[in-house]
Amino acid sequence: MLEMTINDKACRGCQLCLDVCPTQCFSFDVNTSKARVAILENCIGCLSCAFICPSGAISHKHHHEVKNFYRNIEFSLRMERFL
Amino acid sequence: MEEILKKRRTLQETMNFMAALSAGIEPILGRGASSMTMSAGRNLGRKFSAAARRTDDLLEAVEEVRNILLANSCLWGFEPFKPKDQEELITRNGKGQRQMLLVFRDCMIRQSLLRFGHPQQGSLCNMMYGFFAGALETIMGKKATLEIRHAGENACLKMLTVEG
Repeated sequence: MLEMTINDKACRGCQLCLDVCPTQCFSFDVNTSKARVAILENCIGCLSCAFICPSGAISHKHHHEVKNFYRNIEFSLRMERFL
Repeated sequence: MEEILKKRRTLQETMNFMAALSAGIEPILGRGASSMTMSAGRNLGRKFSAAARRTDDLLEAVEEVRNILLANSCLWGFEPFKPKDQEELITRNGKGQRQMLLVFRDCMIRQSLLRFGHPQQGSLCNMMYGFFAGALETIMGKKATLEIRHAGENACLKMLTVEG
């Protein structure tokens, strides 16, 4: 089961996570001026919130992590001519 | 093991080259780049699904697309997604079209785009739209679109819309 937590001390209340989340997982607590995880079931694990958070306050656990293509030096040298 | 690594390396190099190619043609062709890749994806979808089982059930059709991808060794994992406040997996929009949200996780396009810092939602992403459109056109006999709702770093959310 996917877990998502917001570090309260780190959250600055910028609401970028609310803006970027495509499934409205977050809500904003006006009293504390901090973001809250409202609907965890809606999280698709895109990790955009974690990437966009300026203070790195959002973390995920037990999500499917995509392994990006690794860097192949030999190939990169060849590609430099095209890029 | 060596054989798997060799295959992965080949796939990676091909995809990285595709990403560079699409990023290169976009400034030159403009919107035409997306049309080109969309058309290529649609043709591929039609070809791959030529022998697929015909159905009008959207869930069955999507499952059939998954089988087609698997049968052709395309690791393009996707799964239907239902937000908590939505009652059914398949909804209808104002035009009476059937809609369904799909989450794409392992995507070789995203993996290659991020490798070289190319932006997402470009012409190469349209190839997947084309593939679904072509495959569902064959399986269901209806026009389909796959709109990118969100292109994330680890997963993408897309809306599949089928006429009727």
